[in-house]
Amino acid sequence: MTKDILTREMRISRRHTLTLMGGAAVSVAMPSVVRAQAAEIQVHYSMPAIFKEAQDAVMAAFSAKHPEVKATYVNPTPTYEDGAQLLLRNAATNSMPDVSFQGLNRLRMFAERGVAVDLAPLLAKEGDLAKLGYSPAILGLGFHAKVQCGLPFATSNPISYYNATLLKRAGLDPSKFPTTWDQVIVDSQKVRALGDGNDGMFFRWPGDDWMFSALLYGHGGRMLNDAETDVAFNGAEGLAALRLLDRMVKEGGMPNYAGTADLQAFAAGKLGMMFRTTAQVRSIANSVGSNFELGTTIMPVIDAAKGRLPTGGAAAMITAKDPRKLEAAWKFVKFATSAEGTTLMVKNTGYVPCNQIAIDDPSYLGDFYKANPLFQAATRQVHLMVPWYAFPGQNSVRVTQVMVDNLARIVEQKATPEAVLADMATEVRRLIPRQG
Amino acid sequence: MATVTGWGPAFCPWKTPMADVAMQSPAVKAPTARARTLRGDAGIAWLLTLPAILAYCAMILLPLLAVLALAFTDYEFGARSFRWIGFGNFADMLGDRTFSASIRNTVVYCLFVAPLSIGIALGLAVLIEAGARGRAFWRAVFFLPVVSLTVAMATAWQYLLHPSIGPLNALLRVIGAGTPNWLGSSDWVIVSLGFIGVWENVGFNLVLFLAGLTAIPRELYAASEIDGARSGWSKFWLVTWPMLGPTMLFVIIITMTRSIRVFDTVQTLTQGGPNNASEVLLRTIYQEGFHYFRFGYSAAITLVFLVIVLGLMLIQTRLIDRRVHYG
Repeated sequence: MTKDILTREMRISRRHTLTLMGGAAVSVAMPSVVRAQAAEIQVHYSMPAIFKEAQDAVMAAFSAKHPEVKATYVNPTPTYEDGAQLLLRNAATNSMPDVSFQGLNRLRMFAERGVAVDLAPLLAKEGDLAKLGYSPAILGLGFHAKVQCGLPFATSNPISYYNATLLKRAGLDPSKFPTTWDQVIVDSQKVRALGDGNDGMFFRWPGDDWMFSALLYGHGGRMLNDAETDVAFNGAEGLAALRLLDRMVKEGGMPNYAGTADLQAFAAGKLGMMFRTTAQVRSIANSVGSNFELGTTIMPVIDAAKGRLPTGGAAAMITAKDPRKLEAAWKFVKFATSAEGTTLMVKNTGYVPCNQIAIDDPSYLGDFYKANPLFQAATRQVHLMVPWYAFPGQNSVRVTQVMVDNLARIVEQKATPEAVLADMATEVRRLIPRQG
Repeated sequence: MATVTGWGPAFCPWKTPMADVAMQSPAVKAPTARARTLRGDAGIAWLLTLPAILAYCAMILLPLLAVLALAFTDYEFGARSFRWIGFGNFADMLGDRTFSASIRNTVVYCLFVAPLSIGIALGLAVLIEAGARGRAFWRAVFFLPVVSLTVAMATAWQYLLHPSIGPLNALLRVIGAGTPNWLGSSDWVIVSLGFIGVWENVGFNLVLFLAGLTAIPRELYAASEIDGARSGWSKFWLVTWPMLGPTMLFVIIITMTRSIRVFDTVQTLTQGGPNNASEVLLRTIYQEGFHYFRFGYSAAITLVFLVIVLGLMLIQTRLIDRRVHYG
């Protein structure tokens, strides 16, 4: 009896709750009915493993600040490649998201194929760009084929990672990390001398041409000539870059790690020094845990005057052509690349900030860098960053593979730097567009 | 791939057994009745196979025709137009270093994986079949690699074969042998991938062989014993081997096509490197199509791939089928 009443009461109260919830749902839904006039835009990004937290933070802050724009994410793609494919596929079916975050070296392709909206007229309307934090160097990273096709959202550069515990065991002082490659090679030998499967160094040359360009730009070299009609890397700088790679193997005993074997060896405490992108600071720190004392610092300097470093990362690109959507998309892109947006991005990823105001004004990231010294290395090299060169024409991505294949011949010690440089020049020449 | 496997003899709607019977039957004399039966039966046969025909056209035939057409264009993913370039893509292949490396590696990989995985699976199957206990256990043990996710397993292999921290090289170091860079050296990489391929395929072949073995009538062994086949080897050679003919043919075809299709281990472990030393056909197709966006060229390589697979099937069914006695 009592039980029955109880159940009935519960039923009633449940019904009440449901009604209440229904009412709440209606009232929550109301604003969106009112906001039916609000512009809706879709945003796409890649590599959720790295960017999800940052993107979610940016989206939340943007929605709070701009209730008149209803921005939503489409499913993120796992890699930059997948992201580029998605956009090309959508371009073919006319169903592109309005904003897309693409790898910096893919922007050129989208500019050449007319997918990316030129942001120059929008920027012109904004007036003083310095007040928005868009320095010429930052804008340059998104300028390809005479089009301002993107605004950098997250940038990275190569840095040095080291296992301080292992370096100490080899009798080295981690606080005096080598500033020249000659010294890196000498130190590498000392770590190798410990035996027990320990390796001294690994320079992350496979994958793409990015790390090779670090050696080439470091010597002050360039990939192609100014007119982009012929290769320019086959001169003294290119040869010096390849010889340095050769010495890392010959004298430094650099192993030929495939895939992510270098990360595994490093996390296992068997690798002394590792040179790769700063984008992985967070994940490397996580995989190292408390196994050993991890340190990061700037890259060894090759040419103090002419030397530069390549920039990796992603840029925000607009594809919306409809004026209303374009306006909303511009608001989103402007926010994501603002000092506020870049601060959220840095705190959630470890990339280099892409807004001059956030770089200069310590109120944005000062505390963060004090608390996370591992992230500082990359910011100390910002003045050296030049765009990751994107080759012109339809074979732009293919060229990078040709370079990696040729570098493998040096690392495997199957060809001399001279022979490889000549072959690389011939093969790349065949893949760049002929003049006329 | 479904083009090849789905193309079984069972799928022949125009040759229904009913129609054959009707034609051969002397009892049916009136031509009208015969025609009616024929038309009715054939009509029903077509109707029943219609869903399969539609699915085949939509899922296999049309995409195949699209690939065929694409192979003769310079179409690039995302491009607004394309040109017909005849055999241009095929001419490009002749001078393409990556493509020739990919053909060579795929052939080496197949010649390594197919015989080894078939031989080992056959040996194990005979041993397990002969064993009194634990059949289900051993079958499960060897079948495990087949049901496990290759990409996840590849990560385990990457660790096992790691040049400096891998257990395999640690073991080799203890016994004082050399420590090859299994996945990083162009001399070893295809062998290492081959061993992983064998490991993957043995379990699958084993289960097929076990099924084939159980289908052999016991009386044949008894009869062969009466005829003087006493040793295990002569029983195997005189009864098991010939009776396994049809299974063997099937296993050879399956293993060959499976190893030509190798992709996930290469993509996860070596990405075709170093310097194309582990580049294989399917990865080249993927790379050209989805990395370089050269759909036309990728389609042309896909055609070459299809021709190779179809050629293999023809050779195997024509040549080996004749020697399979009880098929």
